[in-house]
Amino acid sequence: MEQPRTDEDQQLVARTQDGNAGAFDQLVVKYTPRLYGLVYNMTSNHEDTNDLLQDIFSKAYKSIRGFRGKSSFYTWIHSIAVNMTLNFLKKRGRRFHLSLDDVDASIQNDKEFLEVTQTSSPVREADLSELQRRLNEAMMKLSDEHRAVVTMFHIQGMPHAEISKILNVSEGTVRSRLFYANRQLQNYLDEFRKNPVT
Amino acid sequence: MDEFDNNEIGRLLRLKRYEQPPPGYFENFLHEFHRRQRDELLRQPLWKIALGRAHDFMMSLNVARIASYPVAVTAVLLCAAVISLKVYQTTPAPNVARLSPAVPVQQAATEGGWSLAAPVSTRITVSQPRTHLSTHRAATPPRYVLDSMPVSYESSLRF
Repeated sequence: MEQPRTDEDQQLVARTQDGNAGAFDQLVVKYTPRLYGLVYNMTSNHEDTNDLLQDIFSKAYKSIRGFRGKSSFYTWIHSIAVNMTLNFLKKRGRRFHLSLDDVDASIQNDKEFLEVTQTSSPVREADLSELQRRLNEAMMKLSDEHRAVVTMFHIQGMPHAEISKILNVSEGTVRSRLFYANRQLQNYLDEFRKNPVT
Repeated sequence: MDEFDNNEIGRLLRLKRYEQPPPGYFENFLHEFHRRQRDELLRQPLWKIALGRAHDFMMSLNVARIASYPVAVTAVLLCAAVISLKVYQTTPAPNVARLSPAVPVQQAATEGGWSLAAPVSTRITVSQPRTHLSTHRAATPPRYVLDSMPVSYESSLRF
């Protein structure tokens, strides 16, 4: 996924810091879809995601005067989002209900979707919706930190370096978390492949 | 390929990008954000709102730039000067030694005799043992207090 242009963000941030609330609105509009994907794939619940997103932007607006531009706005807002979501997940614990069965209908015509379903033997064998459900379940079995890394890397398409900046950990830590999470997901999905009916 | 490898997992996970909120969600998000901000503002006490507005006003005046390093240094120096002036101007505590009476007032009561000069209420308190008094008296030479008149060079008028 393409990273937004930072110079444009810097201008909007500067205008917001000068008291132009409309500039912050532009940042909200720009980053909402992206942050929605991040938070939603970490929480697996639309209502929680909506509340969290509102809180994230509210916090960002309150603290934007303190933003000195040491990192890009992109990294800064993602750090706020990930930290707030991780805190929320810690408070929520394990009580959650999946609402991930609302895969958009447009996926059926997507090129990548067709490619996956037609070429990959395990996927072809399995019912796709069931596989998606299993995948979501497997994601939710990961720890919050591992799920955050998987979401940012696989779903959001961020590079390791960017993830390490957002999480404030080393790239090595990102890689090891990703490796462990991938192995966990493989185990869950292989189990499903062997016993597809269960 | 019988097992899900990393690439396969990645491709499956990328499909999750298509999981989208209900239609119109992103269009309404900003309105919802504004509404929540307003509600939050109204829930705040009046003093907090006033404080926030004052802060915004100061920020609009660019107080942060005015209050630069030289200004901060000057302010610190001024404070230091004021404090040091106050320290030097304070009158020193009276440096008069509290002399114990040359003749202990307890003497009259303790030594059996009495006189009109002795205060009636004099008693030996527990905090001042007798042994201490006696040793002190033995160690220091006796002192005599003479009644004296203030010195005056003016001739006294006599009729």
